[in-house]
Amino acid sequence: MKIAVVQFPGTNCEHETLVAARSAGLSGEIFRWNRPAEELSSFDGYIIPGGFSYQDRLRAGAIASKEPVMDALREEAEEGKPIIGICNGFQILVEAGLLPGLGGVDAALASNVMVSKGEIVRRGFYCAWTTLRHEAPPRRCSGSFLLEVGELVRMPLAHAEGNLVTVDPDLMARLNEDHQVVFRYCNEAGEVDPEYPVNINGSLENVAGICNPEGNVLGMMPHPERSSFAWQLQPTDPGKSVGDMEAPGPGRRIFESMKRYIEVRR
Amino acid sequence: MKIIGLEDQEVEASLRSAGLGLSVSEARSVAEALGRDPTIPELFNYDTMWSEHCSYKSSRATLKEFLCTSGPNVVQGPEEDAGIVAIDDEWCVVIAHESHNHPSQILPNEGAATGIGGIVRDVNCMGAKVVATADPLRFGDPYGGDRNHVRWVAEGVVDGIWQYGNALGVPIIAGDVVFDGSFDTNCLVNVVAIGVVRRGEIIKSRAPAGAGEGGYDVIVVGKPTDSSGFGGVTFASEQLREEDEEANRGAIQIPDPFLKNVLFKANEALFKLTREEGITIGFKDLGGGGFTCASSEMGASAGYGMDLDLDLLHKVSDGLPPEVVACAETQERFMLICPPEVTERALKIYNEDWDLPNVYEGARASVVGKVTTNGRYITRYRGEVTCDVPIRHLTGGIRYQREERPRMTSFEEPAIATPEDLTDALLKVLGSPNVSSREHIYRYYDTEVQGNAVIRPGEADAGLIAPVRGKKFGIALSVDANPFYGRISPYWAGATAVAEAMRNVAAIGATPATLTDCLNFGNPEKPEAFWEFRECVRGLADAAKALWLKGYEDTPVPIVSGNVSFYNESPEGTVDPSPIIACVGLIDDVRDAVTMDLKRAGDPIYLIGPRFDELGGSEYYRTVWRATGRNVPVVRFDLERSMIYAAIDSIAEKNVVAAHDISNGGLAATAAEMALVGRGDLGIDLDLDAAGSDLPADRLIFSESSGFLLECKAGSEEDLERILKGYGLEIMRLGEVTGSRELRMTHHGKTVLRVDLETAKKAWTGGLGEAMR
Repeated sequence: MKIAVVQFPGTNCEHETLVAARSAGLSGEIFRWNRPAEELSSFDGYIIPGGFSYQDRLRAGAIASKEPVMDALREEAEEGKPIIGICNGFQILVEAGLLPGLGGVDAALASNVMVSKGEIVRRGFYCAWTTLRHEAPPRRCSGSFLLEVGELVRMPLAHAEGNLVTVDPDLMARLNEDHQVVFRYCNEAGEVDPEYPVNINGSLENVAGICNPEGNVLGMMPHPERSSFAWQLQPTDPGKSVGDMEAPGPGRRIFESMKRYIEVRR
Repeated sequence: MKIIGLEDQEVEASLRSAGLGLSVSEARSVAEALGRDPTIPELFNYDTMWSEHCSYKSSRATLKEFLCTSGPNVVQGPEEDAGIVAIDDEWCVVIAHESHNHPSQILPNEGAATGIGGIVRDVNCMGAKVVATADPLRFGDPYGGDRNHVRWVAEGVVDGIWQYGNALGVPIIAGDVVFDGSFDTNCLVNVVAIGVVRRGEIIKSRAPAGAGEGGYDVIVVGKPTDSSGFGGVTFASEQLREEDEEANRGAIQIPDPFLKNVLFKANEALFKLTREEGITIGFKDLGGGGFTCASSEMGASAGYGMDLDLDLLHKVSDGLPPEVVACAETQERFMLICPPEVTERALKIYNEDWDLPNVYEGARASVVGKVTTNGRYITRYRGEVTCDVPIRHLTGGIRYQREERPRMTSFEEPAIATPEDLTDALLKVLGSPNVSSREHIYRYYDTEVQGNAVIRPGEADAGLIAPVRGKKFGIALSVDANPFYGRISPYWAGATAVAEAMRNVAAIGATPATLTDCLNFGNPEKPEAFWEFRECVRGLADAAKALWLKGYEDTPVPIVSGNVSFYNESPEGTVDPSPIIACVGLIDDVRDAVTMDLKRAGDPIYLIGPRFDELGGSEYYRTVWRATGRNVPVVRFDLERSMIYAAIDSIAEKNVVAAHDISNGGLAATAAEMALVGRGDLGIDLDLDAAGSDLPADRLIFSESSGFLLECKAGSEEDLERILKGYGLEIMRLGEVTGSRELRMTHHGKTVLRVDLETAKKAWTGGLGEAMR
């Protein structure tokens, strides 16, 4: 099972993402954006990692979404192969219309706005650990294939534009109904509080990750590759010092899910 | 330019009207060495290379006199762009430390961003992967007369740092921030970068052996040269004057982390190619002094000359004058020297594989000339020779013996009455912008990128990363300097900065491996400022020598990199002497490191380090009594070394589960922070009588004498005490961790401080955000 970690100019999480994917038993390589796009078809799955592709010119993800490799990825997605976009990768998938995947560009990841008690308390870039609640049924989505409903996963996030917005008043109802909402920001007890600091970037209904209707394409703002090893956890996390340097962290479940999804699909 | 035969004032007038900073005598010595009148481009080259920034003309003798830069673990001392020390037989840590003070005062965002941009190039060009940065910052008084401007500077600097570092993809894992009126018109923005490299894969920033005889190519990579940053090093070597502000803006470089991100990856491909084929290259960043500085130093340090054609260099326009092309400090550029047979492949990596011309308008790699054996530094432009000088004369610089004179000060200890209850004093200290939580700032920093973070800002005294996957070792980083001590005693400011930076890495269980110093002072032509500089260097060198590299008796902790920043002065005044120290610590297994948050109710708390009447420059005097005082903390070298070693050993033996060093705010702030950084459900109860001191309670808890508070794992008391005794340290078991969510201290049977954690947290978390709002 071989995956491509797609690298655009300005991507900056490709190495640790590949390491995390490998720790889950996937093999793969980093795929530079200007390689012949047809070479992508030899891979079983794709990850678009975080970073600042094309310097976030225009909007985060906007330029990368127009690259020929994205046309190739769209074709692979239609074949049912898994694609996971993390952080900037999520932004690119939204700009490319692959997410939420309803036929157009239906949503956007806007600038963070932290709201508490009716007041904006902070804006802009924010880096912190967060808890995600898995909302979709198991096997619904490639990147959360192995997760149960309500399962909690800890991982960090770091972005300036992760606030999911839409002008379509019915979009959230459709996403909820079709189980396209994969992750929501919640507190450590699993409660979804719509206010900062639980809703860490102001996202609609605390949405942290969504998938397409078919479930093979997942986009999420938090970084599972940064919590794929136990030693990466926060010091206050009891799991931090358990096991050796290879011991898994919660984020590895995302990559293990991808691997299982590829196996089942075969 | 005509110099020979003219009167001094005529030469002076010509130099100034040309925009040169060279003195008349410097210009005359150039003409004398050349045996003719120099050209304008030649004078600009000398102006650049002989600036304080490039030549260390005032500081070099002092640094050489005091600092120890070698040691058993040193792989590369300060001669190159960055210093290197060994981690193990295979891996090394690369470190560089610089200031970007003047640019950050004028244009905070761009100034700070290019500071990060420059320091990461210094580390990368050694062949290393850049794995972390740190940012020691000094801003003016956020509540003083210049508060609006001070806050504009502070906000812009923090924005510039995160915008650059986050986009580049290098985590910021350490730093400190101090606010004081002495920085109102001269902020300090220091930057530290560290990288990792295998010992056999280090690249030197000089022409390789055989480059002259073999006609090696000189290649410039990156952004097209423009006029930005022209005069940057000269501007950094003068005082800031308000009337020059417009002109100075032009001397500030323009940052581009996006292009840097792509360049780093292309560099990695180049390094891989040359490693695999066993080819030695020279590689250097274009930083201060631009093309002239990089090319002349790369040639001269290998004993070669250079023959360079500025027409071949990619530029934004062909209309730039030769001196601007040569001396502009356009960012995001590197210089490569390689054998001619590698050139085509190197150009392909940059121009095709990484597609620089399409990624960034005008960016590319261009061959600009050859290394020669004739010892001349020759540049050509538009068919004319614009510069032809002896290369070693150009890079050799000049030396000044500056005059020194102690600054006369009359600091006195304030007459104060010990308050009955110290709770209010603690809340004031915790709320001070210099003590309060740094969270407001570090949430802007991507501390997680690269996925290597083990301990992050706010979790302990130092940041810790595991930078090489598959390896257990960790690199710890911390930065320190207290300007208030510097004001009273520059010598002890230097010594305490070294001791505190080392204590910080020891507090997580890492062993100090190397230090860097960035020395920020006023105008060295003023004897008092030069005296402050010398005193600081003497103090920090004494501490580095006396605290020893652990495992090697009588061996100094080496100082492998550093920077001197003079002229942090304006007509309104000079900065407090600020010898900012960074310490790199190493730990064999990152899972053995500890943080400062309290772990478990019932664990005993030990104090190491007796309390002395040392509140000069303390947060307590400043915040509660509006006084400076005189008795600065001193470093008792043998005691300090024992404390640091005891902390490291007791953490390694797993007797200690939380540790925090005592510095700003004294033992009271240290105890409070240990309770506040965690989940907030554990408190501390201390009986100050166990400190065995006859100081009044306020002095006891707010004295900034060095030391640690350690949380001992319950049941390991005997083991911990054995280690402490082994180092000759007093056993001071002050109290214990409680489940009561409050801080309590008693003295002579009376409660002198009692506060619930909610209240303390409110004070502690609000201070910095308010100061920067």
